Amino acid sequence: MKLIAENIGYERNFQNLFANVNFELKKKECIIIRGANGCGKSTLLRILAGLIRPITGNIFWNDKSIIEDKDYQHEIHYLGHQNGVKPYLTVEENIHLNSTLAGFKILNIDTLLQTLNLLSVRNKKSQYLSAGQLRRLAFAKIMAFPRKLWILDEPTTALDTEGQRLFDDMLQSHLSHDGMAIITSHMNEISDTHKTLILGDNNV
Amino acid sequence: MFKSLLIILHYEILTTLRQAYSWLTPVLFFIIVVCLFPLAIGPDSTLLNKMAPGIIWVAALLAVLISIGNLFKQDAHDGSLDSMLLSQHSLTLLVFCKILSHWITHCLPLILISPILGILLQLNNQQELTLIITLFLGTPVFILLGAIGSGLIVGIRAHGLLLPILIMPFYIPVLIFGTSSLIAVAQNQPLSAYYAIMGALLLLSLAFAPLFTAFALKIGVDQ
Repeated sequence: MKLIAENIGYERNFQNLFANVNFELKKKECIIIRGANGCGKSTLLRILAGLIRPITGNIFWNDKSIIEDKDYQHEIHYLGHQNGVKPYLTVEENIHLNSTLAGFKILNIDTLLQTLNLLSVRNKKSQYLSAGQLRRLAFAKIMAFPRKLWILDEPTTALDTEGQRLFDDMLQSHLSHDGMAIITSHMNEISDTHKTLILGDNNV
Repeated sequence: MFKSLLIILHYEILTTLRQAYSWLTPVLFFIIVVCLFPLAIGPDSTLLNKMAPGIIWVAALLAVLISIGNLFKQDAHDGSLDSMLLSQHSLTLLVFCKILSHWITHCLPLILISPILGILLQLNNQQELTLIITLFLGTPVFILLGAIGSGLIVGIRAHGLLLPILIMPFYIPVLIFGTSSLIAVAQNQPLSAYYAIMGALLLLSLAFAPLFTAFALKIGVDQ
C-alpha cells in the first residue's frame, strides 16, 4: 500500500503555483506539508484527494493512477479548510449523514462523542458550536469509520491544547494501525518525527 | 443503497425546512407577484382570465429562478460538497436526491397555493385542474435544468445574473406549453398533446439532468 506523487504541478491564473512536487508515502508514514500562506498547500491536498486535476504529473495509489482508480476516493478521509459540517443539522445528525454518504453504519456513537468531548452538545445544531467544537466534530466524522489515508488541511486550527493532544493521539493510533497521513500545517505543533515537504522548495 | 438514499433525502429536506427563509422566499415571491396583477390591472375579469396563464407561469418561473442558484451554494460554502464528491454513492444519485428535496421544499408549496391564486385571476375549475397538472409536470423541469447551471457556477463567487442568462433559454419551451395548455382549456381544445409534450420534457430532463449536473459539479469545483 503506497501513494506516489510524480512531478505534480498546478497553475492559477496562468502562473505557476507549484511545480515538480514528488514524494512517496508508505504505510505507517505521515507527511507534513509546510509552506508560506498562498503557496498552494490546500490546492495540493485537493489534488491528492482527487478533487482537482493537476496541470502536470500523476498520482499513483498502489501503482494505479488515481484518475482511473475509482476506489481510491473510498480509501481516504479528506478534511479541508471547511469542516464539511451542515450548520442546520445537529452534531449527531451530521455524523450520521456523513457515515451514510460514505456507506458506513456507526455502531457506537456515544463512545465516539465521549472521546471527542462532544456528548453534551450532541443534539445541538452545528451553527451554535464554537470553531473548536466544529473541528472536533470534523474529527468525529474521521474517527467514525476507518480509512487508510488521511488528507487533512490544517487540522489543529482553532483547537485548544487538549484538542491538539487528542489529535496527536488520533494520528499516532491511525499510523500504528498501518494508516497513512498527509497533513498541512504552518505551525510546529505536530510532532517533527514525520517527513516534511516544504512547498516552494519541493524537497522531502 | 436505497435506504441510504432515503436517509440522505431526509436530511436534505430537514436542512431546508430548518431554514424557513430558504423555502418561504420563493412561495412568498410567487404569491406577491400574482396578487399584484389584479390590483394593477383592475377588476376586468375577462382581461384577467386572458392574462392569468402568463402571469402564473412567469411568476412560477421567476420564483424557481431565485432559489435554484442556492442549490449547491451552502454545501460548497460549508465543505459538505466535498463529502458528496468523495461519497461511496454515485454522484448522479446524490444530485438527484438534492434536486428532489429542492422540488419538494421549494415547488410543492407553490403548486399547492396556485389554485387559490387562480381564483384571484378568474380561472375556471377546468383551468385550475390543468394548472395544477401542468405545474406538476413543468416545475421539476425548471429545477432539473437549473441544477445543471447551478452546478456549473458553484466555483464562481460573484455570479450575479450568470445563472438566469445561462438557463433561461431552456425554460422557454416549458413556459410556452404551460401557458398554451391553459389557453387551450379556455377554448375547449383537447389537452392531451400539451400533457404529452410536457411529460416528455420532464422525462428527458429527468434522464439526463442529474447526470449532467454531476458532471458540471466536478468541473465547477475544479477551479
